[in-house]
Amino acid sequence: MSTSLSVRPRTRLHIGRMGMRLRADLPFAGRRFPLGLLLGGLVLAVLCVLHIATGSVDLSPGQVIAALAGHPEQPFHTIIVWDLRLPRTLIALVTGAMFGLAGAILQAIMRNPLAEPEMTGATSGAVLAAVLWLGQGPGRLAEPGTVLPLIALAGGVAASGLVYLLSFQRSSLPGRLILTGLLVSAVLRSGTSIVLLLHQEALGSILIWLIGSLNGRVWVHWDVLWPWALVALPLGLASARWANILQLGDASATGLGLRVPYARAALLFIAALLAASAVAIVGGIAFLGLIAPHIARRLVGADARRVFPMSVILGAALLLAADIAAQLLLRPTTLPVGAVLAALGAPFFLYLLRWRTP
Amino acid sequence: MIASAGRLTRIAHLSRSVRLPLLVGLCLAGILAAAALGILASTPRISPAGLWDVLRGGGTPLDRVLITELRLPRFVLGVLGGAMLALSGALLQDAMRNPLAGPELLGVTAGATIVVAAITILHLAVTFVLIPWLALAGGLLAGGLVIILMRRTDDPIRLVLVGAALTALLNAAVIVLMSYGTQSDIGVLFLFLVGSLANRTWIQVRLILPWALVGIPLALLTARALNVLQLGEDVARGLGLPVLRVRVLVLVLSAALVAAVVAVCGPISFVALLAPHLVRRALDTSDARVVLPCCALVGAALLTGADVLARLTFDPLELPVGIWTTLLGGPLLLLLLRRQLRASRGDA
Repeated sequence: MSTSLSVRPRTRLHIGRMGMRLRADLPFAGRRFPLGLLLGGLVLAVLCVLHIATGSVDLSPGQVIAALAGHPEQPFHTIIVWDLRLPRTLIALVTGAMFGLAGAILQAIMRNPLAEPEMTGATSGAVLAAVLWLGQGPGRLAEPGTVLPLIALAGGVAASGLVYLLSFQRSSLPGRLILTGLLVSAVLRSGTSIVLLLHQEALGSILIWLIGSLNGRVWVHWDVLWPWALVALPLGLASARWANILQLGDASATGLGLRVPYARAALLFIAALLAASAVAIVGGIAFLGLIAPHIARRLVGADARRVFPMSVILGAALLLAADIAAQLLLRPTTLPVGAVLAALGAPFFLYLLRWRTP
Repeated sequence: MIASAGRLTRIAHLSRSVRLPLLVGLCLAGILAAAALGILASTPRISPAGLWDVLRGGGTPLDRVLITELRLPRFVLGVLGGAMLALSGALLQDAMRNPLAGPELLGVTAGATIVVAAITILHLAVTFVLIPWLALAGGLLAGGLVIILMRRTDDPIRLVLVGAALTALLNAAVIVLMSYGTQSDIGVLFLFLVGSLANRTWIQVRLILPWALVGIPLALLTARALNVLQLGEDVARGLGLPVLRVRVLVLVLSAALVAAVVAVCGPISFVALLAPHLVRRALDTSDARVVLPCCALVGAALLTGADVLARLTFDPLELPVGIWTTLLGGPLLLLLLRRQLRASRGDA
């Protein structure tokens, strides 16, 4: 299968002068990882403020910070910032982080830089379950209940379980996992199409939701999201050690005492949990889980213990920045943020192209 | 690689005498059955006697219109479209030496889609008849751009990435357009995006026919070059094949085949991907001289069969055929590729 670009972690030799040089060649954030994390955190904070400041009423960053601190310049700033924009920002921050981490985990266990949450079936399973539920009654999209995320989550986890079972044979090959995921996703998507065709009255709003959008996300959505994030994000970050061992290849990992099929299943489950709970809130945002880990790996090397936190930061930053762009690009219309990220896919592929060509 | 290809051909020699006629017979039977069911069985039903009357030039006016103006062109479109899609898939898979190469890699689908999306949602003043032609132009333009960009390269991954980049860009544009659309516009666009043979008449057949008449024979003629390409670029070059030129030719050909189908029927998925695999597995050979003609047959059988399914499952309501090709094609392809992956466990 030549679509799968197999990457092996680049081995670094720390011998004499050559080792020194290679180490110095490592990008900045790799050498000073804690500093890189700190920088990333700062960028995130700035983006958050900018994100809150963006909207139909323009606020200055100073006004935002004042309102956040409880000393608003104008009383209505409190309402705008706290009731309308802060939940959207928080949701962007956390779902971005979840997509980024899910992508990083998947790229590590599939040993394929083009793996993304879509390929576990998590996204399409969540979408199908959600659409099935939404199709049951009109207006269900409007009410942001707690049921929809749960249903989407169940769909996502079930679909990725199916992918894993189908691809599981004596040894579970990363290549087969990707292929199975792609095909199962395609089938699930056409299931979604059937439901949509049978309920055409809700088609438009559901389609926009499928593309992924942060429009109209409020505290109710946040209340549903945070418990999942609280469980899944630390789990994902903690799994970095396993991911590191899996990256060495199945044979080496087994030799190091890891029970490869179980470890891969566990990581897959965590990634599905991350992706599905994020999809349940913001819809199936494409490319985020693909791009963020890629940039992270370029910044900090192949070590999963560094790539995972960096992917979290980059995923959140990308989604925040994309959402700011989505609100500003075609004012007064607010684009679905999925459109901006889908457009980002193009330069990303071109970048991959350049990087591969000697 | 070469050794295994040699072994494959030897096995094929032993059994081709049985397998080939069997496959061809099955496909022809499938196409005939699809024709009969498609023309007779969907609502309103037509009795075989009614069909016989129409064939002899008589029959009730309703039966006549139904058969000659609606169901026959639809069947012809299914045969032509299926054959063209399957051939383009086979050409692409051989030329790129990538078993998962599909027409979407060329950006053709995305190019046609953006044109249809723009017309539908911006309410551009375009005659209904003109839309497929514009979609065709869009598809060819995008395909041409991708082929020009990938021209000077041997790297199969580069080939994939160029198409993926353009497709991503165009899809984003479609999404932006969609967020401007009204509910009903999006419904229309969605029906196109799924891919359907519904409500097609001789107008659409006339559009696709010249492309089929030129494209299908040309595609069959590339078989020998494809066989050499399968051996790998170095070997092919050593054998005196102008690899890059041949590849560009094959890509242009398959882009043209797909663009014509997509412009008329929308992006129908999995026929192009599945048919070559089915044929290679059924005949146990990758000899393009055999695979290509059989692919055309299998593709036609697949698409017409799926179309009959699409019309009969929820009769009188009908689902777009693109849904059925995916629902059936996905699991089938998975089954077919499982064996292959198991065989090449090392480099999967």
